[in-house]
Order: sequence, then C-alpha cells, then structure tokens
Amino acid sequence: MGAKAIRTEGLTKRYGDTPALDHLDLEVVEGEVVGYLGPNGAGKTTTIRLLLGLIRPTEGRGEIFGLDCQRRSVEAHKRLAFVAGEAALWPSLTGAETLHLLGSVHGRVDEGYRDELIDRFDLDPSKRVRAYSRGNRQKVILIAALMTRADLLVLDEPTSGLDPLMEQTFRHCVYEARERGQTVFLSSHIMSEVEAVCDRVGILRQGKLVEMGTLAEMRHLSALTVEATFDRSVPDLSHVPGVSSVQADGRVVRCQVQGSVQPLLQVLANAGVTQLLSREPSLEELFIALYGGEAGDGTGDDEGHGLAG
Amino acid sequence: MVARLTARKAVRSGILWGYIFGAFVASSAWSYTTIYKTQTERDRLAAAFGANKAVSALFGPAPDLQTVAGFTVFKTSLTLMILGAVWGLLTSTRLLRAEEDAGRWDLLLSGQTTRGGAAGQALGGMAAGAFTIWAVTATITSVVGLSSKVHIGAGPALYFALALVSTPIMFLAVGTVTSQLAATRRQAASYAAAVLGVSYAVRMVADSGIGFHWLIWASPLGWVEQLQPLTSPHPFALLPIAGLTAILAAVGVHLAGRRDLGGSTLPDRSSSSPHVGLLFGPAGLAMRTLRPTVISWWAAIGITALLTGLVAKAAGGAIVGSSVHQVFSKLGAPGTGPQAYLGVSFLILAVLVAFVAAGQITAGRAEESSGRLEDLVVRPVSRWYWLGGRLLVAVAALVVSGVVAGVFSWVGTAAQHTGTSFTTLVGAGLNVISPAILILGVGALAFGIWPRAVSIILYGVLGWSLLVELIGGIGAVSHWILDTSVFHHMTSAPAVPPNWGTNGVMMAIGILCALAGGLAFSRRDLQGE
Repeated sequence: MGAKAIRTEGLTKRYGDTPALDHLDLEVVEGEVVGYLGPNGAGKTTTIRLLLGLIRPTEGRGEIFGLDCQRRSVEAHKRLAFVAGEAALWPSLTGAETLHLLGSVHGRVDEGYRDELIDRFDLDPSKRVRAYSRGNRQKVILIAALMTRADLLVLDEPTSGLDPLMEQTFRHCVYEARERGQTVFLSSHIMSEVEAVCDRVGILRQGKLVEMGTLAEMRHLSALTVEATFDRSVPDLSHVPGVSSVQADGRVVRCQVQGSVQPLLQVLANAGVTQLLSREPSLEELFIALYGGEAGDGTGDDEGHGLAG
Repeated sequence: MVARLTARKAVRSGILWGYIFGAFVASSAWSYTTIYKTQTERDRLAAAFGANKAVSALFGPAPDLQTVAGFTVFKTSLTLMILGAVWGLLTSTRLLRAEEDAGRWDLLLSGQTTRGGAAGQALGGMAAGAFTIWAVTATITSVVGLSSKVHIGAGPALYFALALVSTPIMFLAVGTVTSQLAATRRQAASYAAAVLGVSYAVRMVADSGIGFHWLIWASPLGWVEQLQPLTSPHPFALLPIAGLTAILAAVGVHLAGRRDLGGSTLPDRSSSSPHVGLLFGPAGLAMRTLRPTVISWWAAIGITALLTGLVAKAAGGAIVGSSVHQVFSKLGAPGTGPQAYLGVSFLILAVLVAFVAAGQITAGRAEESSGRLEDLVVRPVSRWYWLGGRLLVAVAALVVSGVVAGVFSWVGTAAQHTGTSFTTLVGAGLNVISPAILILGVGALAFGIWPRAVSIILYGVLGWSLLVELIGGIGAVSHWILDTSVFHHMTSAPAVPPNWGTNGVMMAIGILCALAGGLAFSRRDLQGE
C-alpha cells in the first residue's frame, strides 16, 4: 500500500444540529487520481474546506501527507495546490500579476510550465481580472495551481465556466500530472470528466461516504443495460430472474440485468431477437441509480445500495 | 423590482440612522434644558459662542444659542451633516456599484428593465431610505418638542428633519454619479468622499470669518447651513439642494444608460504590462490594493490640516478675551490663541485618522467575505502572517497620516506667520495616532470574534466616541461616559504637550486587542458574506 496523500478519521462538521459531514473515513494514496461525487449539499466542498483548514472540524481529523490539516496547515499547503469552483480574485490586478502573486505566496513555480499553461489555456495575462469573463478567471486559478507542480492537486469543480476545448486541455493536464506521479483529488459534477481521469471514485450522500471504489468495481456491482430488437412482438421479460426496469418500445425492449445474463439470453434466443446491444453503466447511471431510490422509483434502499448486488 | 429590492435595504439602514439622528437631536435638546437652566446662563453661552469665529469655523455658525431650538441646531447640524453625507455616499455606492460588481445586476437586467431604468429605480429605492430617516427624525423631534421645556412645534420639527436629511439626499445623488464614473465601489466611494471633503473645507473657510463668507454658496454643506431650521428658516436654500440632487440624479441615470454593465464612464485601463513590485506576499498585496484609498485619505487629512493651519491665527485670536476658552478647556485645550484652536482642531484630524484605521479593518474583512483570502491561506500562508502583515501596513499608514496632519498644519500656520514650530505640530500629528491604533486593535478583535459585525462595531465605536467628545465639550457629562470615548484620553496637542505615557497605554491596549483578535481569527471558520 502506498503512502497516504489524504487521510481522514471520523472527520465531522456540524452546523448546529445539521451534519454537513458525518464521520468521514477516507484515504487517498499518493499518485492516484480520486473522484469525489455527490449531489448539491452532500458535503464535498465541506470535506475540501476541512482538509484545507478553512473551517474547523466538529470531530475527527484529517491529514495531508501525514501532516495534520489544522495544526500543520502551512506545511501541508507547501505540498498541495487548490482550485476552487469559483474564482475570487483581485479585480485591479492583471492575470500576470495575479499569477506572480500566487506563485510568490506559494513559493514554488515552474515558470516554463506556467508560460506553457498560459498558452494552452489561451489566456491573455495582460488583462485585468475585472475584464475577464468567468471562464478566464477560472483559467487563472487553474494555471496558478498547476504551475506549482504540487504533489497534491485538490480540485473543486475546476472546469466550472470553461468551454469544452478548455475542459479537454484541463483533462490533458490531469493526465500529465498523473504521469508525473502527482496525486489528484477531484470533486466534480461532470461525470464524464471523472470517468475519464479517475482511478477511484467516492460517492458522498448527506454527509456520508456511501461508496468508494474503482469504476470497474462499481460497474460490477451495478446492472448491465441490455437493448434487444425483435422480428416479432416483444416477449414478456418481467419474470426473468435478474431482469428489472423493462421498457418496451415497439419491437425494441430495454432492461437492466443484475447478476448472470444466462436466464435472459435463454429467453431471447427463442424470441426472435435480431439485434442485441449491452453496455456497462456509465458513472452518471451509477450515480442516478444510487440516488434514484430516494425519489421512490424503487432502484435502491435507504442505504443507497442500489448498486450492490 | 429594483426599486423594491433597493428600498428594502435602504429603509432598513434608514430606520437605524433615523433613530441615531433623532436620538442625537433629543439628547442635545434635553442636555441644554438640564445644563443651562436659567436664562442668564443661556445668555452667557450665546455671548460666548455667538459671534466666535473659531467656533463658527469648526462647528458652524451659532445664532440663537439662548434658546433650546438654536442650541439644538448648533449642536447637531454639522455632525449629522457629515454622518448623513457618509450614509448617502456609502449607501448609493453599495446599492449601485457594489451590487453591479457582485454580478447581481446581471440577473435583474435580464428582466424587463434597462440599465438607466434600473439606476432610476434604485434611486427611488434609496430615496425611500432617506424618507425613512426624515420620518423617524421628525417623529422623535416632534415628540421631544412636545415637552414644555423644549417646545419645538410639529411644523418646525418637520422642517428641521428635512434640513438634516438634505445632506444624505444630496450625497445619495453624488454617489449615484460616482458609481457610474468609477470602475469599482471603492473608487466610487473615494470620489464621493473627496466631494464631501472639499465641501466641508470650503464651508469651513466660509465660516471662519476671514472674509470669504460668499464661499458658503459654493458648498452643498453651506446650503444646508443656510436653511437655518428652528431659528430663522430660509427655505429658499432648498432650491440649490433640490437642484443639485435632481441634476446629479439625472446625470447618474443618463450615464448608467450609456455605459456597459460592469464598465465605467471614466476610462478604465482593462490591460497593462505587469507591475509586480509589491506582489511578494500578503503585506505587499495590502499596500498595493489599499494604496489609492489611503492616498485619498492622506489628501483629505492634508487639506483639512492645511486649512486648519491657515485659519488658526484669525480664529485663535478671537478666543482671546472671550469665555470660549472655557469650552475649549473642556475639550482639553486650555489657554487662548492659535494653540488652543489647533488643539481642538486636531480632534477632527484624530477622527479622520481613526477612520483610516477603521477602513483598514473593513478592507481586511472584505478580503475574507469575498473569498479572496482563501486564495492566500490555501497556500503556505498562516492566518497570523496574513493578519499581522495587514496590521503592520495599517500602522504604517496611520503613522504617515499623523505626520501628514502635522506637516500640513504647520505649512498653513507658517503661511500666516502664526509662530507655531514645526516639531510642535508634527508632535501634535503623531499624538493623534494612538486612538487610531486603539481603533485598529478593537477592529481586529471584532474581526476575530464577530467578523460579520465588524463595520457596525467599528463605526459605532467611532460615532459614539465623537458624539461623547462633542457633547462633553459643551455640557457636563459624567467622566464615566467621557472615558468611553477613544479620543478622550488623547491630549489636545499642540494646546498642551502630548502625554506619551497615556498614548503608550492606548497603543498597548490596541495591541492586546489585536492579539486577542488574531487568536480568535486563527481558531474560527472563514466566513463569507
């Protein structure tokens, strides 16, 4: 097992009686890219703000590379870089001045890489921050974080406001960071982004970490999506073991299969199937399946184990 | 919609300020009836102040001091003029420029209104705030006036309240224009404050009795003075007040309609080559971002000190042989002549320097509430380092403020051959720093414990301290109350030598408060707006 870039033990934050984060036990190994998902208000930003020492925990503790997040925050921050979802910058400074300031404060800048990033993100550094669009302000804080080549990148919805081309540029930067052995902790709503870059994914729900694993593990626990086209009327699949969420549309039927597909294949083989498509669930489908039970569509229990077998 | 939203905020603030205005009026009227009980005492007061140029320059003219009404107008007018102007310019720049900078106007203007229309509606909402101040002040004045000892009728009370609210109304309009000219709220407030500073200085020269009384018509504050409520009302002075307000409001709405949302009428350079000299860390950043505001304050302090020095000889000469020196003694400036006048004038400079201190703390709080502080403390910057750096920059700004006050007052006195030495006046300037450092420490403590209330606490302490000093100078006030003023323990140099021991104690208290504030800040959550 590698050294821990992030480790939390019972990390809890309450506002009055409301638990924003509830006894979080989380580990991120050095060099891995971890995604952190959850609906609005699940506690993702609270987790990050606790790790960064911006707020104080009600209980528990967190460590960055073995350094206590609260007591040794300055030392911990020497090894990390943070990107917030919304850039709050100094309106009268130019982009270049902002990057200089943040680099000076961090104490570690790869100037050549910084210039390369400015080029790749197509940022005009001579403009004042108040003249930047929202996306360009986000680019400034992205570049400010990436240029430090920090051992740990903590990213909270980092591509907020970026156009698809810049999102792609950001993903390449994350790939490169991973290749260099940097650790990335990415909180995002963009499932495709997390799916593309992350080794492991954690899913937060009402302040609790309800799932943590690789995408392959999560897909294994979830249902396969099957679409079959017939040359005659569609058969009744509702009683086939392992099959659920059956939807018929003319001569096409879609369903979910958990566990073995053998029972379904036996039925389909005798039913005149002309085309059969199957795919593993996307991260978005996993996510929706986890939270879909809360809306009463019967795909999961109260613990959110809709993904579990 | 814009009018409703703006009115809600302005009326809330208007209720508080109407109460402050009304309370000040009520306390002035009541203190007069209790301190100056007999007509003989009142006549003596009127003789002492009535034609005194020193008093007139500092506090405004003092006619009819032998009556409750006349005294009440004299006591309240200038202070409430300045407070009202500050309310007006801060309210308008907050509800216009700051809201626009925060992006909230983007949402509003996606609805069925134009930029000019929205600005006009906002003005309407702010006018509701001014109306609230008038209504609350008029109500309190009328109620107090029912007393047979005070005896102010309802009609005069309404007119008096109108006179008091004239300055806030004018400066709502000033702030509306500066919000269009400037690119940021801070710039807009600075421009409007400069207008206030010049207005005050012109009024001061006009009232100093050195032959420039015609200048009273060149100052909006002078127009308000000419209304002369409760004594010999001259409502025609409402004409220039209404005219200026209407013109500025129309100009503001016109400019709002012509510029881009988020832009400014005055050219704002949207790009430049990098100037990274001060951008080495939090302290340098503070110097860089606060430089324009601090320089504006230094200019205001310098001009006020210069004018004070210029009128010192004439105004101080009027104290000789009069009983005004008794009042000046109560304010801590015994003796007669220019030194006594300067001793009292430096109280006003001390207030300005204290405002510099308060501004440094509120600027720090703005860094936190805006989220910009997080950009620094998520890097290897401890909260102590950030706060300590900002406080050191603030102390440096205060020291320069004190030196500016001393140097420019000397320039003024030297031009009039007053004979006060350079070192004496620079010493007097340095003397005003200690209450400002105390304010800085109190502000840091408030920032650590209750950051969202920093502005209320700081400006509340400053307002209270000034109120206590002014009332204490005129009437008998318990020493317990006087001791609550941060200015009370400052000697009135150059009338008397500075007491460096007392100054040291004040600064030590300020430093202790700052340390306690730093400890609290290091242990709490960062808080947004």
